[in-house]
Amino acid sequence: MSAALEVTMPRLSDSMEEGTLLRWLMRDGEAVSVGDELAEIESDKATMVYEAQAAGVLSTAVDEGTTVAVGTVIAWLGGEGAAGGDEPRAAGRADVTPVAAQAAVAGAPAARNGAQSELREPSKAVRRKASPVARRMAATHGIDLALVDGTGPDGRIVRADVELCLAQASVPLDGGDATGQAQSTPDTTATGGRGEVTVHSLTRAQSLVAQRMSQSRQQVPDFEVRARVDAGPLSAMRAQVKGHDPAEVPSVNDFVVMAAARALREQPRSNGSHRGATWELYGRVNVGVAVATEGGLIVPTIFDADRRSLGEIARATRDLASRAREGRITPQELDGATFTVSNLGMFGIDGFSAVISPGQAAILAVGAVVPTPVVRDGAVVPGLLFELALSCDHRILYGADAARLLTRIRELLEHPIALLVS
Amino acid sequence: MSEVTTQTPRYIEAVNAALRSEMAADQSVVLLGVDVGAGGGVYGVTRGLCDEFGSRRVLDTPIAEAGVLGAAVGAAMAGLRPVVEIMYMDFLTVCLDPIVNQAAKLRYMTGGGVTVPVVFRTQTGAGRSAGAQHSQSLEAILAHIPGLHVYCPSDARDAHDLLIEAIRLDAPVCFIENRRLYGKRSAEWEREPLPAGRARVVRSGDDVTLVTWGRMVLEAEQALDQIGDELSVELIDARTLVPLDGEAIVASVQRTGRCLIVHEAVTRHGPGAELLAKIAEDALFDLDGPIRRYGALPTPIPYSPGLEAAAVPGVAGIVEAIREVARG
Repeated sequence: MSAALEVTMPRLSDSMEEGTLLRWLMRDGEAVSVGDELAEIESDKATMVYEAQAAGVLSTAVDEGTTVAVGTVIAWLGGEGAAGGDEPRAAGRADVTPVAAQAAVAGAPAARNGAQSELREPSKAVRRKASPVARRMAATHGIDLALVDGTGPDGRIVRADVELCLAQASVPLDGGDATGQAQSTPDTTATGGRGEVTVHSLTRAQSLVAQRMSQSRQQVPDFEVRARVDAGPLSAMRAQVKGHDPAEVPSVNDFVVMAAARALREQPRSNGSHRGATWELYGRVNVGVAVATEGGLIVPTIFDADRRSLGEIARATRDLASRAREGRITPQELDGATFTVSNLGMFGIDGFSAVISPGQAAILAVGAVVPTPVVRDGAVVPGLLFELALSCDHRILYGADAARLLTRIRELLEHPIALLVS
Repeated sequence: MSEVTTQTPRYIEAVNAALRSEMAADQSVVLLGVDVGAGGGVYGVTRGLCDEFGSRRVLDTPIAEAGVLGAAVGAAMAGLRPVVEIMYMDFLTVCLDPIVNQAAKLRYMTGGGVTVPVVFRTQTGAGRSAGAQHSQSLEAILAHIPGLHVYCPSDARDAHDLLIEAIRLDAPVCFIENRRLYGKRSAEWEREPLPAGRARVVRSGDDVTLVTWGRMVLEAEQALDQIGDELSVELIDARTLVPLDGEAIVASVQRTGRCLIVHEAVTRHGPGAELLAKIAEDALFDLDGPIRRYGALPTPIPYSPGLEAAAVPGVAGIVEAIREVARG
């Protein structure tokens, strides 16, 4: 409890030696401010109103009508619930030894601060301390700062901590790293109508994915356009490349990444992002390629995909994917994508719609290449088709934009020679 | 450069050469100052110039700074291009009025009717027990005055190029040398000349940006040598406070996320405060920790060598300050 400030019988004239507290003008427990009229005091010469020289909660020490010597404590001003000192309450004519006058009139700063603490606004909810750049990075990647450990002074979160958080998202579940973060161990078990329940706490990676997917679905008004692509020309080209150099055959997905990158360069708004009151359009075309690892979903970035050759894209993708599976991917490689390509074709999926990554305008979902009857020159013939589904953020891309983008991607994929000629 | 020697020029020789070449090229360039003529300057900066150009172009003046600078301003208004010397920067206070209220303002107040193409040359530099009245770095006062340009070259090359630019500029320039730099040669004399308003990246780095000027550039280089591989520090020489290359400095801090400003002037209300504010305005959301300044303590500079070393920034202090900024 903060120390209570003593209010003593003031010397109201040179000759005054004792005074009578005629009437209290404020009550016990009331909050007193400097200048408030506290009491009527009668001296040898006159009756005067005594104004408070300090602030605090009033706790009277003498009854009305009591006469005490100048300097005797007549009240205390304290913090909440202050009860003042242990001096016995003076009543009637005081035989109380005058207490040495403290700086009641001067107003000790400590007590004033203590009393005024009640007037301060209720403290705001605790906010994690983070440096400006760390805060901005976390916002860009949709990372909740509560998930990040701070290694800066006073536990402040710094840039390196957010980068580490991003990197840890790539650690595989049964990699079992030293911090034990990767392990998803059952916390509790229970038995009920749905059988024995095992509860797993989310790893950091899983938390991040959950958070970002949620955020995307909640905030992004997405719509989808679909197209089926004739994979014939692609397959023919791949067969040619295989004949030339079997070790380095680009996959269908590599072609898709390249075609998408080329189309994005031609249509700048699709290589951007909606942000509040603005659209941000990015100068580089960086395509994120979704990779399924045992630890979860990783999306490493192919930087400047529009300027890379097919071979470079193929090699980069393979390298990033293998390192992602081994948990050897760096934070920089998980950052900076302006568009994402996600492919479930290898699982035999015909087509699907993907969730747009926060901070991007669209995402392209690729299905499996499937032999399908097609109509050519009026006749039904066997063909090879695969489905593309482009999900777009309607705040930046409209129907026509999406259609233009997707049909251009299809056009490039159906005429892959165009991809080899820059 | 009329005299080519096998070694590159020292700072003092570079200043002398710049004055000589400009005086040779332009008859309107004149020098004024205490002992600049016959004596060749108390530090030898103007040696030989009076012999070469005569005492009507290299004037020895009385010890009366207010009057001398007033004369220089008047001469500039009348069509000359005076380079007037204030022997010690501390004496600025005696002659502030011609600089602040005349030179800086007359072009504006006459609607362009007069220009004041004067160069105020001075030198600063603590560390030699010159005492409180002969050791101050007061560039902040000058940089605060609109209408004045403030150049603080850190090496011979910059001293040469910036002095020539200052003389040719039609506006008043405060050219601040440092007597502890006079004997030093440029580490790289043959580099591309940079104009005023452009900072120079002395060393590249990724972890911390260190901005400084004047003699502190050399101290900072020594500090970086001591730091070695412990941290990757980008050292930027601001070179001119007005005009300031804010863009280059901000761009560097946006990359590194951490910044230390070092200057020989007193930290409190010093020139570093302006840089810090500017960087914070433009790069706040790129900062990984607070920007810090390391300057002289808020005390008149002591005469005693030990106390003076403690009051004025030095290599050891810069090393410590870099580490503190890197820690956050």
